[in-house]
Amino acid sequence: MISLDTLNEKWEVIVIGSGPAGLAAAVAAAESGAEVCIIEREERPGGILKQCIHDGFGLLRFQEKLSGPEYAYRYLEMAANRRIPILGNTFVLKIQREDTGFGLTLQESGRGVFKLQAKAVVYAAGCRERTSRQVYVHGDRPSGIFTAGTLQYMINIQGYMPAKKCVILGSGDIGLIMARRLVLEGAEVEGVYEIKPEPSGLTRNVVQCLDDFGTPLHLSTTVTEIHGQKRVTGVTVCKVDNDAVPFRGTEKYIPCDTLVLSVGLIPENDLLETLGLGLDPTTGGPPVDQYNMTALEGLFVCGNALHVNDLVDYVSESGVLAGQAAADYARYGRKRSRCLQIIPGSGIRYVVPQLWDSAGERNLILYFRSSQTVFQAVLEVISGDRVLRTEKYPVLRPPEMQRLELKAEDFSEPLQDLEFRIREVKI
Amino acid sequence: MKRRLTCIECPIGCSLETQNITQELTVSGNQCARGERYALKEVRNPFRSLTTTVATVFANCPRLPVRTKGEIPRKDLFVAMELINSIIIEHPLLPGDLVLKDLLGTGVDLIATGPTDPVYAFNGYERSHGR
Amino acid sequence: MHSLKKIRKLFDRAGFKEIEVAEKHKAIFLSGNVDHWDRYLEAGYLAAGKGYRGVVNDIQVRGLIPDSFTVPSHSDKSLEGRHFHAAVVGGGVIGAAITRELTRWQIDVALLEKENDLSRHASGRNNGIIHPAFAAPPGSLKARYNTLGNRMFTQEAQELGVPLAWPGLLVVFPSRMMHMLMPLIRRRARQNGVRGVEYLTPEQVRAREPNIYNKQQGGFFLPEGGIVSPYKLTMAYGENAISNGAQVFLQTAVIGFDLIKNQGGNRIVRVNTNRGSFTADLVINAAGIWADQLAEMAGDRFYTIHPRRGAIAILDKKVTHLLKYNIGQLLIPAGKSKGGGVTPTIDGNILLGPTAEEIPHREDFATRTEDLAYIYQHQMFLNKALRSDQVITYFSGNRACTFDEEFVIEPSSYVENFIHVAGIQSPGLTAAPAIAREVGRLAAEILKKTMALLPNAHFNPCRKPLPVMSALSFEERSRLIKENPAYGKIVCRCETVSEGEITDSLRSPLGVASLDGVKQRVRTGMGRCQGGFCTPRLVDIVAREAGINIEKVSKSGPGSELVFKKTKGLVDYSSVKILSEGGKEEESHD
Repeated sequence: MISLDTLNEKWEVIVIGSGPAGLAAAVAAAESGAEVCIIEREERPGGILKQCIHDGFGLLRFQEKLSGPEYAYRYLEMAANRRIPILGNTFVLKIQREDTGFGLTLQESGRGVFKLQAKAVVYAAGCRERTSRQVYVHGDRPSGIFTAGTLQYMINIQGYMPAKKCVILGSGDIGLIMARRLVLEGAEVEGVYEIKPEPSGLTRNVVQCLDDFGTPLHLSTTVTEIHGQKRVTGVTVCKVDNDAVPFRGTEKYIPCDTLVLSVGLIPENDLLETLGLGLDPTTGGPPVDQYNMTALEGLFVCGNALHVNDLVDYVSESGVLAGQAAADYARYGRKRSRCLQIIPGSGIRYVVPQLWDSAGERNLILYFRSSQTVFQAVLEVISGDRVLRTEKYPVLRPPEMQRLELKAEDFSEPLQDLEFRIREVKI
Repeated sequence: MKRRLTCIECPIGCSLETQNITQELTVSGNQCARGERYALKEVRNPFRSLTTTVATVFANCPRLPVRTKGEIPRKDLFVAMELINSIIIEHPLLPGDLVLKDLLGTGVDLIATGPTDPVYAFNGYERSHGR
Repeated sequence: MHSLKKIRKLFDRAGFKEIEVAEKHKAIFLSGNVDHWDRYLEAGYLAAGKGYRGVVNDIQVRGLIPDSFTVPSHSDKSLEGRHFHAAVVGGGVIGAAITRELTRWQIDVALLEKENDLSRHASGRNNGIIHPAFAAPPGSLKARYNTLGNRMFTQEAQELGVPLAWPGLLVVFPSRMMHMLMPLIRRRARQNGVRGVEYLTPEQVRAREPNIYNKQQGGFFLPEGGIVSPYKLTMAYGENAISNGAQVFLQTAVIGFDLIKNQGGNRIVRVNTNRGSFTADLVINAAGIWADQLAEMAGDRFYTIHPRRGAIAILDKKVTHLLKYNIGQLLIPAGKSKGGGVTPTIDGNILLGPTAEEIPHREDFATRTEDLAYIYQHQMFLNKALRSDQVITYFSGNRACTFDEEFVIEPSSYVENFIHVAGIQSPGLTAAPAIAREVGRLAAEILKKTMALLPNAHFNPCRKPLPVMSALSFEERSRLIKENPAYGKIVCRCETVSEGEITDSLRSPLGVASLDGVKQRVRTGMGRCQGGFCTPRLVDIVAREAGINIEKVSKSGPGSELVFKKTKGLVDYSSVKILSEGGKEEESHD
């Protein structure tokens, strides 16, 4: 740990969060010449990667299939080599706008409550999990109800087994990954239940985490009620129609001692909201421009706090973007000019960034998700009456985020709002 | 005998079907050659990488993440788990360090993927300052 | 008082010909069979208010599993052969307040609670409103104790170190006609001793509560509406009682009494529990939802308790600024099922509800789909800025109602050392300090007959609250962290609860080593992530502080453990089937 006397009070860039987004942002900011430090609320750095011990991380960034801790370690080494201090066990109590940037009020055991200042802040606090009550699972409140991430921490980091026979609600990737982990550690997974008619996670995970072990996946089925007062004794599952409305009479009681929930992630931007920043209701993150800068100049957001990603490589990519831009902002005080909108049109759930500083960078990296599964999809990027770009996709699925680069030469004056839309090609 | 599987070679995710009519294994439902290769390998002898944890003697790192440095036959996963469950790490390790050589004679090593000192990274700054 | 004959006629006319109506101990006893719970209730209410001591409704409902209370799985002999001057049964706010009141005397007091902690039933499952004594009928015990309790609250909370605020209650009129009721409203307030009633036009209502729903037609404001944390108050009573010499026994259920016949009537000589039997000079029945069953054990049952369920939804703290007052709606007829409205809490959340629904099982705390549908439709609309996606969780509790819908606070007429404190539903929390004062007086009268009662010279009504970091200024936090670095380490992010506060709660006189025990004291896991991040850390902290294995750490006592075992070592994979071939075998269709 760094002692207080060696710690500067004023920084060019402060990064909040030491996960894959925050570490990438800090390294990128340092490489751009900025004085940067990282604030981490937990006692170990690395964010959620610490507990994601499965592999498949880093295929794009390192051309290797790393585990989460390995991926984090690569970045931690880069941060160490660039002498970026990481303040662990440090909690941000308050963030406020000041004349020269931002003031952060922090709390840590050794330092008490203390303040740091930064010209630019990169916010990379990740996301939290949606809970059983938030998806309207009713019943009492016995023990044995865990979100997949909580269970993952207990099994992978603490080495505790909180389940013998479990039901998993939600086929998000963490839920699928945990189905495999539970079986490998000796628990029985009765089944995975998904309210939607198709899996929420990647096909690869359905195959390797469920099919490999004969774990059934029940689509268009959800858990409606938890039974048990002290420990879970069972759950009621029920078929649903396409609007997720339960079919009366299809209820089935399934004995189990544990219900695991993988029902969605919520970007954790509650601290930013105290600054008066509005959030995009679809992504759960604040709208940003192509530098990942929010409506508040000097405040950048990246990673899962911006929108929930399915690949860590993209998380780090958004961190690099934010880190570089934050360094530039802090050092050269770039001002934003007129912002154009990037609009999710027909068939598109969302596009990030949502804004586009028309005087700035014209090589844009855009991430989008489709609203539903579309085969032989044609994506069009429209500006006014003109189609700037047409991309063909054999298939677009909402769980699989797409990345698209627009080049400066794609544009022509006058610049107008961009709209993404999907044209379905019928075979 | 017929078997069904979903191709994971690309995002399309074709539904594949293999059939064993005579001695010859045939694949249908694939839209490209990669699908056929995938199905044949999956049905004959699927390989998987194994990621799990091992116990350690370190109080602040009760479990250390490990993985196979390559794929092992899927049928051996639980035999491997039984062996891995018996390991207790007693010496400090860093990601990439060897935990077990040639797991079950597969020729694949088991390696650590995390450090046994989990706050190690916080010290990176001091290390780079030569402390 | 109606004659039994007249009641019989009423029952016949209501189609209850097969229901037997009898009188015993000046109470009405009902027996027989009905087909539905609704009919059970109908019969109970039909017999109420006829001038008897109470209604005992022993009617069976066909096809319904008879209700019985859960007894702790734990049993030992730790209470065997002991003697207490007073034993209070029931660790809700009433029992805890009475226990603390009794420590004003130099006597041995025991508080017995069958659950793993205090305030596990109604006291931990309500909205924490300190009611102005407006709703209760004038002249009733409810009205009397409501008024008295309301006026005692400021001092009580101060002594106990429990946060309290008086935002006031805003009652809005859904219809314009209701303006004409103002003279009646003022008269009711005068009769019940409610002060400061203020009439408000629709414009004035909107000026006070800008997010009030558009169609409101004005209303009135009662400044004597307060908010408190009901479980923190209960804990504070319990802790203060312990500091003044009382003993609290958790997971201790009374399973019977040994009675003897005296010239004055019956007398309880032994109290039998799952932890052995002991003798007591006085037993106080504060058993809440099970008070009638305890009365039966003592041989003086003259009321039946039935549960009225209330579900409450909790909103994210980030919307708290959207509401200023407790808001309710004037409904006519008021009826017995009032239900709630929209309420700010002392801890900075907004609550919606409670609902009011009659159910047959007293320890049924499950929420249902209909609860939220009702809350969203009938309660949330009061504040137009509130939305269902701001809900972080919901829960339900059961009010302990008698058919007379009235408190029962009296010494037993048939058992000389037994006091009934039953039927304490809304406004029970408000009334608690006054009820405790009165029961203390009744208890002293009974005890004085058999012993010399001396004041407890060491009684200290004040409890020093433990530091709540999130409520302190940054300077104060820094000072505390210097003293104890554990105050600097945040464990629960959403509610910013430090490890120091958690260990404080576990080391307090009434510390309970369970996740819910910690939660009810310091709010860990009460925020928007609902314990997602802090649960694994809390398991470790509780195990360490209590000196127990992690397999023993529970959510709320034995049977609710979280971890079965540790990973690794010998794991049985014999039931695992792993196919040597890939893919799934084609399902046969023949």
